[in-house]
Amino acid sequence: MFKFNPQTLKKLRRFREIKRGYYSFLLLAGLLLLLVFGELLVNSRAIVVKYEGEWFFPTYTAFHPGTDFGFDYSYEVNYRDLRDRFANESGGNWLLLPAVPYNAFENNGHGGVFRPTAPSAENQHYLGTDTTSRDILARLFYGTRIALVFALAFTAWVYLIGISVGCAMGYFGGIFDLFFQRIIEIWSNIPFLYMVIIVFSVIPSSLSIPARIGILLAVMVLFSWTGMTYNMRTETYKEKSRDYVAAARIIGASDTRIVFRHILPNVLATLVTFMPFVVVSAIGAITALDYLGFGLPPPTPSLGELLKQGTANLRTAPWIVSAAFVTLVFLLTLITFIGEAVRESFDPKKFTVYR
Amino acid sequence: MTHITFKRLRTFFLGSLTASLLFACGGSGDDASQDQSSAPVDNTEEVQAYYAANPDFFSFKTPEDIPEGLVWEDGSELPEMGSAKAKKGGTEYRALQDFPRTLRTIGPDSNGGFRGMLLDDTTPTLGFRHREYFDYVPGLANAWARSEDGLTYYIKLDPRAAYSDGVPVTAEDYMFMFWLYRSSYVTAPWYNNYYSTMFTNITRYEDYTISISIAAAKPDGEARVLELQPRPRHFFKEVGEDFVDRYQWRFAPTTGPYVIKDGDLKKGRSITMTRNPDWWAKDKKHWRYRFNADKMRFTVIRDTEKIFEAFRRGDLDQSGLNLAEYWYEKLPNDAQEVAAGYIKKAAFYNQRPRPTFGLWMNTDRPLLDNLDVRLGINHASNWQLVIDKFFRGDYARMQTEHDGFGEFTHPTLSAREFDIEKAQDYFARAGFKQRGPDGILVDDSGQRLSFTLSSGYQSLKDILTILKEEAAKAGLEFRIEVLDGTASWKKVQEKQHDIHFSAFGVFLELYPRYWEHYHSDNAYDQAFLDDGSVNPDRKIKTQTNNLESFANLEMDRMIESYRASDDRQEMIELAHAMSELHYEHASFVPGYYQGFYRVGYWRWIQYPEEFNYKHTQGATEMFIHWIDEDIKKETLEARKTGNTFEPSIEVYDRWKEN
Repeated sequence: MFKFNPQTLKKLRRFREIKRGYYSFLLLAGLLLLLVFGELLVNSRAIVVKYEGEWFFPTYTAFHPGTDFGFDYSYEVNYRDLRDRFANESGGNWLLLPAVPYNAFENNGHGGVFRPTAPSAENQHYLGTDTTSRDILARLFYGTRIALVFALAFTAWVYLIGISVGCAMGYFGGIFDLFFQRIIEIWSNIPFLYMVIIVFSVIPSSLSIPARIGILLAVMVLFSWTGMTYNMRTETYKEKSRDYVAAARIIGASDTRIVFRHILPNVLATLVTFMPFVVVSAIGAITALDYLGFGLPPPTPSLGELLKQGTANLRTAPWIVSAAFVTLVFLLTLITFIGEAVRESFDPKKFTVYR
Repeated sequence: MTHITFKRLRTFFLGSLTASLLFACGGSGDDASQDQSSAPVDNTEEVQAYYAANPDFFSFKTPEDIPEGLVWEDGSELPEMGSAKAKKGGTEYRALQDFPRTLRTIGPDSNGGFRGMLLDDTTPTLGFRHREYFDYVPGLANAWARSEDGLTYYIKLDPRAAYSDGVPVTAEDYMFMFWLYRSSYVTAPWYNNYYSTMFTNITRYEDYTISISIAAAKPDGEARVLELQPRPRHFFKEVGEDFVDRYQWRFAPTTGPYVIKDGDLKKGRSITMTRNPDWWAKDKKHWRYRFNADKMRFTVIRDTEKIFEAFRRGDLDQSGLNLAEYWYEKLPNDAQEVAAGYIKKAAFYNQRPRPTFGLWMNTDRPLLDNLDVRLGINHASNWQLVIDKFFRGDYARMQTEHDGFGEFTHPTLSAREFDIEKAQDYFARAGFKQRGPDGILVDDSGQRLSFTLSSGYQSLKDILTILKEEAAKAGLEFRIEVLDGTASWKKVQEKQHDIHFSAFGVFLELYPRYWEHYHSDNAYDQAFLDDGSVNPDRKIKTQTNNLESFANLEMDRMIESYRASDDRQEMIELAHAMSELHYEHASFVPGYYQGFYRVGYWRWIQYPEEFNYKHTQGATEMFIHWIDEDIKKETLEARKTGNTFEPSIEVYDRWKEN
């Protein structure tokens, strides 16, 4: 990888000085860390079980049938029932459940029917349940995780393709540039939503859910990389005519070396400034697709699906939409703050009207 | 007067990265082409030539040719439908989720939701099935008689019958109907086929006497004939190659009470239907108390929730409350409008063939061709939980594939219950004995017991997630796939599904149909060899409704006898035997049925005392409700002043089953 030049280091220092953006960044990083270890916080499986002198750590292992803990059923043990049972008997058995003892899929049905129930600390549904009695906090938590991972992967791919094609266009110029510009013009005119719908209707559903999410990602990347190329193309054009590029070429550096080791570090400002907004748009897109019913396959937890449920039950279950809405606003605001700070710290003019 | 509207649909915006996605859709083609098409043709000669070329089908005779000794029936002794108290007048406000794509009732796009208003629900047929006694009452016909062999029906038309433009309905319009439905101009293959194969002759004796013959005598043969409707010859004389475009937005003269006047069709927004004050049947028994509103105003509201909110505001008069969440939560008995008596709630138990909600397994797929696996899936599907907790116990378990057909429904068969132990036993017999790390069963080769469970019902996807969670307890995995309606229909028609959650709509008729779903002709091309053994090279047949790929020689034999039979008792016995065979095959998991319908309506909408009839499937199906303008005024006044009335929450359980 390339080394940061002193200019860039200075920009990073300046980023730290912009408090709002910097703290937003720390908050988001913390949130990501929390989400990575989500199974320990929001999960129907216990963290630790001590049963008949034996220790179990079921979070990341294979499932334990009910028979492992003295129930008479062979499907996965219900740890909440187990907790209640342990509390009633005095056998020295105990277990530690996560703070939110529900997963994102089970229909809990407190009170006999599947319906939205209001937030309640008593049954540990801190944000209530959705229309089929699934815990909203759990769905929100894992939905956010999927959306963030999805957005980051989306950004990485879009950058990779956009930078490669854009730089090549700017660097080689001529017919190559002309040709690719036309291709991109045509490509970017294909209606994206239709393509997603069409492609999704032919994907065999025998694929696992992660594979289907992967395909959705691929389709979205396929139709989104074009915007990036224009910025990269102009930047590369500009840098290409500088003396240091000519110098590198005279020493005999290859095209790849010149593009990735000389030009790219100099156009970093453009890349970094756009990044947060790409993430924001990816989260927006996946949420919108889910909302329309063309996104992640059910029963995958997602923000869009919660929003849809929430708007359908605005009057009877306002907690559904408010939870999803607040999360989305919070997330997008954080990222926008970071984006603003990045833009500002990478701005060569320290005192601009934009401050 | 052509104006092209581009509806711009702004979807969503991918930030600075991609351009905003704007795309135009709809609106351009249809109305433009109408004006550009060539001058109208006159098909009179073509039609006459067609009659002449098919003398076996189209016969012209004299009244003397009608056989002696016919027993004429007219069903006029059956009680009237509707209430003598009904008042005519007022405007009824309704919502449409989609604007109809055409006003044609035949041809491409004509099978939309508005078709019922244009034709099926509002227009008299020759005879009309009484929704309580199941027999026919007179409609466009005054009397009918069955020939001795049961193949021909003689019909005396009501000479008063006329179209909304004043032209009388005569025998000619019935002959023309056959020409139209058999013509290739209408681009409707189903019609072409049905009207060519189910009927063998139509004879005109004089302007108001005809006979129609059917291909095979059946116990309910009169249903085939009496549910026909004439097509106005004078209006459709321009039918030609450009039929689809030429008739796209023209309202056909109707024998029914409601017409769409010029200017009352606002494309994409609203439609107003006006009651014809000179309707020919306005004083006819069985018809005079129905169709009471002077106007029906349909406004397009695309979102279900918005429709419901419009109803609660009083902008719409009625709203279905079938789903539990609407009946119990969105409009509970203590909602302000209900408690104050402004909105009434009613639940009406009905009896009719039930839509076949359930899991359809494609037995051509690997693993699903194993009876033990199918039995296991039956026992691993927890429909009772769906009924108890999702539908809150209001719905009932479907027991066979053909519930609600009276004697024809198997009296004792019952759907297999959710039982984890039994399911696991069956799965173990099929080789699935071990549970994998995620609790799903695997066989010795490491194959997981996992199937795709697809559906086209976006609104019922919660049911699938409940079934999935429950099936996992028995070690069975359902991978859920929720498609949009069209895509899912295509999928099952291509037989690409593993297990599909769906239902076929069922008509109100005497006996169920088996050939469509269970005959091997609809499962494979040449399913069996001549000696009766399974054809090893057989290929799956697509575009049929045999969603289970059900192929069984014994079943084929029974279906053929059933189709050929005109003996009611024999057919009942065959129906039961076929249901048993189908049950043993275990390729269908019966789901649930809704034994009632529920509505909420503003108190100015009035219903007869018994509310509705035994065989109806919706409150407004019969148009026996009416609007009381005085009560409307009083109610609107009361909403302002805060006056209240006696709340009304009625359950009509006279026809409740079990």
